Amino acid sequence: MNRPDANDADVIVVGAGPAGSCAAIAAARAGRRVILIERGPFPGSKNMYGGVVYPRILDELVPRWWETAPVQRWVVRRSTMILSETGALSVDYRSNAWGQPPYNGATAYRPDFDEWLSRQAVAAGAQLVTSTTVTGLLRDASGRVVGVRTDRPDGDLTASVVIACDGVNSFLAKEAGLYSATDPSNFTLGVKETLALPKHVIDERFGVRDDQGVDIEILGGTSGVNGGGFVYTNLDTIALGVVLKLPKLAAQKKRPEEIIATLKAHPAIAPLIEGAEVKEYSAHVIPEAGYSMMPTMVTDGMVVAGDAAALCLAAGIWLEGVNFAMASGMCAGEAAAAAVARNDVSAKGLAPYTDKLNATFVLRDHKKLRKVPGLVLSDRVQQRYPAFVTSVVERVFRVDNPQPKPGLRRIVRQERKRAGIKLSELIRDGWTGLRGFG
Amino acid sequence: MTAIDRDTNWPEISFEERIGTAEFRIHERAHIVVDGDTCRGCSTRECVVACPANLFVPTSDGGILFNYENCFECGTCYLVCNKEGAISWSYPEGGFGIVFHRT
Amino acid sequence: MTVVACLKWVIPRVDDDDRFAGISAADQSALEFALLSARPGEDVVAVSAGPLGAERALRDAVACGLSRAIRIDLDPRASSSAVASSIASAVAGARLVWCGDYSLDRGTGSMPGFLAARLGIGQALGLIDVTIGDDSMSVVRRLDGARREIMRVTGPAVLSVEGSTARLRRASLRGVLAADNAIIDVIAGMSSPIDAVDEKPYRPRARALAAPSGTSALDRVRSLTDAGTATQRSETVVLDPPEAAARIVGALRDWGYLG
Ligand SMILES: Cc1cc2nc3c(=O)[nH]c(=O)nc-3n(C[C@H](O)[C@H](O)[C@H](O)COP(=O)(O)OP(=O)(O)OC[C@H]3O[C@@H](n4cnc5c(N)ncnc54)[C@H](O)[C@@H]3O)c2cc1C
Ligand code: SF4
Ligand code: SF4
Repeated sequence: MNRPDANDADVIVVGAGPAGSCAAIAAARAGRRVILIERGPFPGSKNMYGGVVYPRILDELVPRWWETAPVQRWVVRRSTMILSETGALSVDYRSNAWGQPPYNGATAYRPDFDEWLSRQAVAAGAQLVTSTTVTGLLRDASGRVVGVRTDRPDGDLTASVVIACDGVNSFLAKEAGLYSATDPSNFTLGVKETLALPKHVIDERFGVRDDQGVDIEILGGTSGVNGGGFVYTNLDTIALGVVLKLPKLAAQKKRPEEIIATLKAHPAIAPLIEGAEVKEYSAHVIPEAGYSMMPTMVTDGMVVAGDAAALCLAAGIWLEGVNFAMASGMCAGEAAAAAVARNDVSAKGLAPYTDKLNATFVLRDHKKLRKVPGLVLSDRVQQRYPAFVTSVVERVFRVDNPQPKPGLRRIVRQERKRAGIKLSELIRDGWTGLRGFG
Repeated sequence: MTAIDRDTNWPEISFEERIGTAEFRIHERAHIVVDGDTCRGCSTRECVVACPANLFVPTSDGGILFNYENCFECGTCYLVCNKEGAISWSYPEGGFGIVFHRT
Repeated sequence: MTVVACLKWVIPRVDDDDRFAGISAADQSALEFALLSARPGEDVVAVSAGPLGAERALRDAVACGLSRAIRIDLDPRASSSAVASSIASAVAGARLVWCGDYSLDRGTGSMPGFLAARLGIGQALGLIDVTIGDDSMSVVRRLDGARREIMRVTGPAVLSVEGSTARLRRASLRGVLAADNAIIDVIAGMSSPIDAVDEKPYRPRARALAAPSGTSALDRVRSLTDAGTATQRSETVVLDPPEAAARIVGALRDWGYLG
C-alpha cells in the first residue's frame, strides 16, 4: 500500500463540467485535498448543450444558488411540439411559480454556468488547474488507479482516488476498462445555433416578460433522421438545435446544418426566429442510450460520474444531463472522500457510490425511463383533454430531484381518474390522434 | 418527399461564416490525424456527412482531405467511422482548440 | 541584475470578459526571451499594468519559471506614456526589458519607446529574430519596404519582438500548482504628461501604383483588375520535396509576394 499522505492530493477530479465541479465541492467539503483538472482555458469553454439546467440538486451543495448562478431566464413555459412536415401539435404548460424561488429550470450558457460552478469548488477548497489535458491513468502493479498523467511537463499527479468526469468521450473510463465496447448507436450528435434577437422581440414572440423563459422540445422535424429538436430562450438570444442519432445521420445525405436549416424553415418555427442572426454555431455528442449503455461505475482507485458514466437522459421530451451530472458528481465526491477517510479505496471501498446512485433520482429515473419514448408519444396526443394533460404534464415536467420522478404510468392513471376519463375513450382518441398527425 | 413550405426570413450564411462564429485557438500540432490510404478504400464515407464542422472533404482522386483546425472535439467522426485505424483521435493540448462563448 | 517581460492584459471588445482575455503572441514571445536571456543568478520579473484580471496572466507567467510578478494597478485605458512611466519606476535598473511589438487592442507600438526613454537605456524595437549569445545578442529588426536591420545588443536595452519570434514554453504542472499561491506585488500606477484621447481602428496604408495602361476606361479597368484575362495561377506539379519547395518560392517571387 502506498502512503496516502505522500500523494499530491486525496482526490483528483478530471473535468470541470457539472459532474466534476460537484464532485470537487463534495470531496473538499468533506475535508479532502482535491485537485480539479480541466483541459479548456476555463471551465465550460469546451461544453455546449441545449440550454436548460434543472439545478434542484444544488440546494444541497450551494444554498441559495439562484442568487449567484449566471442564469439567462427562468423557465415558466415548457412545451412539447410534434412536427409533421408542415403541421405541428404542441402541448404547452405554463407555471409562473417556476419563475420564483426556489425555481425549477433555468436557461444558461454553459461557459457561464460551468465556470461559476467551478468557482464554488474553489471556494470549498479545491485547487483548479485549467489548460491541462489528462492523457492517461497511473496505475500500480496491482492495476489500481493511483493518479493521472497530464500533457504538461513534469505532469504526473498521484491521488488516493481519481474521479473521472471527463464527459461523453471518457477516455479514462475506457482506459480503465469500464466500458465493454463503444457502440455508435448509443450516441447522438447535438448541433445548435445561438440566434441573436432583441430581448423585447423574444419576449413578444414567446409570450414572456422580464426574466421569464421558454423551453420547447421538438419531436420530429429532423428530416427523417431519428432524434429531436429544441428551442430555448436566453435573454437576447434563442438556442435552436437538433439531436441526431449517429448511425442514422451517417447513413443518409443531409448534413447537420442542413437539418437545422430545414427545422428553422418549418412553418411552426420560422416565425419564432425571423430575422435572427447566427451568433454561434456549436456541436457536441450525447450519450443517449441511458441505462442500457452505462459502464461499471467503480474500479480500484477510481469512480466515473456524469456523461462519462452515460448518466444522461435524452429520451423524447427529456433532454437532461446537467442535473444528473451534478447529482452523480456529488455522490462520487462524497463516496471518494469517505473511502479515503476509511483508508479503503478499492472497488469495494468505493462501492457506496453505486448505492448512493441507486438511492437517488439518478439511477431511478434512468431505470424507470428505459422504455419511455413510446409512452410519451401516446401521451402527447391527449390535447383534447386539456385538464388531464396539463396536470399530467405539470407533474411530468416538474423536476423535483433529488426526488425521483414519479412513474409516468402512475401519473397518467391517477390524473385520468381525477379528470374522469374512461380508459377506452383515451385509447380510441389516442389512436385517432396518432393517425391524424403521424 | 414534398417540398417544405419555405417561409424563411433571415440571412442565409455560408458554411465558412457559420464556422467563423466559433472561436478556435489553434495549436500547431494536429490532434486528429486521418489516414488517407485507409479512406481510399472506404465507400460509405460516414464522416463526410456527419462531421458538424465539415472537416472531411473528399478529393477528386478518391482520398479524404482533413483539416484539424476548426474542430469541435465532439467525437462524432471516430464514432461513425467503421474502418479500424482510419482516424487517430485525441484532444488538443490543454488550453487550445474550441472555446465556446454562448452555448 | 534583472530581466523583465512586460505583459499587456487584453480584454476583447466583443466579449468584454476576463474569460476571453489574455496576452498577445508577441507578449508571449517577449516572456520566452526574458526567460531565455537571463544569465545564471539573474532574476526574471514579469510586469503587467492593468486591472485585477491581469493577475491571471502573471500567474501563468510565474508558472513558466519567473522569480517575481508585479501588477501595476492602472486603468486599462491609460496611455502608453502613463504605462511606460509606471513600468519604468517599477523596473529601474533592469538589464533587459522585453515587450511585445505592439498590443492587440491599441496597437500603437509606442510603449516600448517611451519605456526606453524613461529608463534612459537603449532600444531595439520591432524585432523579427533574436539570437542570444554569451555576452551579446544579435537581433534583426523589420524596416519599411521589406528591408532588415541587424544589430548587436550589449548594454541595457528595451527590446520589442513580433509574435512569431518565439513560442512560449509550456509551464510544468508543478509550476502551475505552485503559481496558484504565488504572491503578486501590486503597486499603484502613475499618471503621465501625455494622454491618448482617442484611438482609431487600423486602416491599411494607401499604396502608390502606376497609372493603368490602356486608352479606353474599360481597358484601364481591365488592366487594373485582371478581369477577363485567363490567369494561370494554379497548376499541379509532382516534384520531390526540395524541388517542390524551390518551385513554390520561385512562384511566390514571380507573383510579387516575396522580395
Ligand atoms: C446538444 C445537447 C443538448 C443538451 N441539452 C441539455 C439540456 O438542455 N439540459 C441538460 O440538463 N442537459 C443537456 N444536455 C446534456 C448535458 O450537456 C450533459 O449531460 C452534461 O454536460 C454532462 O456533464 P459532465 O460534467 O458529465 O460532462 P461535460 O459537461 O462534458 O464536462 C466534461 C468536462 O471534462 C473536461 N475534460 C474532458 N476530457 C478531459 C481530459 N482528458 N482532461 C481534462 N479535462 C477533460 C471537458 O473539457 C469538460 O469540461 C445536452 C447535451 C447536448 C450535447
Ligand atoms: S474517416 Fe472513416 S468514414 Fe471517413 S472516409 Fe475515412 S474510413 Fe471512411
Ligand atoms: S471531432 Fe467532431 S468536429 Fe472534430 S473532426 Fe471529428 S466530427 Fe468533426
